[in-house]
Amino acid sequence: MTTTPWHLDGELAGRYAVGTVGPVLAASVEQHLVACVPCRSLLAPHVDTPRLDLVWAEVLEEVEAPRPTLLERLLGSIGMSDATARLVAATPSLRGAWVTGMSVVLALSLLAAYVADNGVAVFLALAPVLPALGVAAAYGPAADPAHEIVAATPYSAVRLLALRTAFVVATTLVPAAVAGLLLPGPAHLALAWLLPGLALTVGTVAVSTWIAPHQAAAALTVAWLAVSLRALAPRHDPLLVTTTPVVLGCTVALAAAAAVLLVQRRDIADVIRRTA
Amino acid sequence: MTTIEATELVKAYGRHRALDGMTLHARTGVTGLLGPNGAGKTTLLRVLATVLPADSGQLRVLGQDPYDAVGRRSVRRRLGYLPQDAGFHRGFTAFEAVDYVAVLKEHTDTRARHEEVRRVLDLVALGDVATKRVRALSGGMRQRLGLAQALLGDPPLLVLDEPTVGLDPEQRMRFRDLVSEAGQGRTVILSTHQTEDVAAVCSDVVVVKEGRSVFTGTPTELASLATGRVWVDDAKDPRAVAGWRVGAGHYHHIGDPPAGAELVDPTIEDAYLLLLGPQAAQGRGEAA
Ligand SMILES: Nc1ncnc2c1ncn2[C@@H]1O[C@H](COP(=O)(O)OP(=O)(O)OP(=O)(O)O)[C@@H](O)[C@H]1O
Ligand SMILES: [Mg+2]
Ligand SMILES: [Zn+2]
Repeated sequence: MTTTPWHLDGELAGRYAVGTVGPVLAASVEQHLVACVPCRSLLAPHVDTPRLDLVWAEVLEEVEAPRPTLLERLLGSIGMSDATARLVAATPSLRGAWVTGMSVVLALSLLAAYVADNGVAVFLALAPVLPALGVAAAYGPAADPAHEIVAATPYSAVRLLALRTAFVVATTLVPAAVAGLLLPGPAHLALAWLLPGLALTVGTVAVSTWIAPHQAAAALTVAWLAVSLRALAPRHDPLLVTTTPVVLGCTVALAAAAAVLLVQRRDIADVIRRTA
Repeated sequence: MTTIEATELVKAYGRHRALDGMTLHARTGVTGLLGPNGAGKTTLLRVLATVLPADSGQLRVLGQDPYDAVGRRSVRRRLGYLPQDAGFHRGFTAFEAVDYVAVLKEHTDTRARHEEVRRVLDLVALGDVATKRVRALSGGMRQRLGLAQALLGDPPLLVLDEPTVGLDPEQRMRFRDLVSEAGQGRTVILSTHQTEDVAAVCSDVVVVKEGRSVFTGTPTELASLATGRVWVDDAKDPRAVAGWRVGAGHYHHIGDPPAGAELVDPTIEDAYLLLLGPQAAQGRGEAA
């Protein structure tokens, strides 16, 4: 922004005070008043002081306070409090870069599913990793430059992490589900990545009570890719692996174990969980 | 009243002990931590701010046990903390950055919270740039933004890690006023490399060296450690622990004065350098 070259005169101040300037001009007058003390005092003769203070508070609220984003208004309409919605909206991974990155990965693996021999396997290996990586991008010293400050606040770390995880999962699920439906092959194939995705996400949150979320996600991703790519790649029917009762059973058991761990460690998580 | 009772704290990184039997008691007023780079000041402040658990030792903060989940939360509700490298999301405006912390500090009512955010921004003279993005703020402004969030809710305990770094002289004066005022009835504990900060605002001072405290007392008591060991001369005296040029043709020396030397009143810096030993003191001598 450049510095404003103009100032209010008595006449404009008077019109602004009684509310007869148009909305566009009023907005720029307000923007100017926030930064310019002399012009603020020009308003004084036109309004009595208590009212001026009141008007002034309104103007500040209008100009300085962050406007609720679309997401915040949406969350508000489903009953979430303003404050909680603010925390969700401040999630780094809900910001543009993450959504773009995730869409690119999905598009590429979808493309692979069509053109490559084992392309579907690649998709089934990659898609479950996305929500876990999203969690890593949502919380912790690597994701939030204010993490050290956040860590010293009374807000429950686990609550904050869970809140953000829920929304990361929600924002990842929608595009990943769409991509899954576009997969070549039987329709239920689209669901084959869901369970491992869930297990990896809950696992990341649970392991985050020991190490920073980005390290937890990285470790689990490497482990998952090592297992899944080896199991999937030599076969041409990826369903063989992902829908085997044994594999499914293991995945569910892992997710459940991670959830139990998380609940048990929720207090410890308040102090540690960082690359100190 | 004693706000912080830390006894024999140990915190090791690998084999290196960043805190090695640190004992510190802080009461209402302003306590300053002085110490060279790597002495363990930041590690200590992070332990006090409940973000880093010590390996061993006893700790009570505001009468609570920070290793117990309930006690920890109770401490955090009454704590303002400025970390050494406080950062904020670069895309936030100054207002949003502080507002974000305010939400986490349980200021749930939006209207009241916004008023509080405005109050602390004004306190650090950032009211005029509230709508600027963090990435567009100068280094000193970002430092003040960190300070602003620490002041949210006027907490009874302020933990400030090098709060005056990067501040210009005017803002430094303003900060000193702010902290002196906060020291009335509250506890402020801050680390600094500026002995002038200590002289100006601290009621107590702790000198930290290699993970332990080597001095605890008032700034006057610290300075008096060097009584009779500070002298001036027209030429640099090689027998001094350290000597540096002050003003036109005068050299300020610390160490054991020769017979008949012209003794002068010691400053906090003189005593601090003598406490740290010849190496640190010579660093000062060369820098000057
Ligand atoms: N996360 C870490 N991992 C490994 N070593 C660390 C870590 N943090 C601090 N240390 C080491 O602990 C010691 C104390 O560091 P600390 O940051 O507490 O010093 P300080 O007194 O704050 O120094 P400065 O004046 O430079 O800020 C140093 O030797 C440092 O290298
Ligand atoms: Mg430090
Ligand atoms: Zn003006």
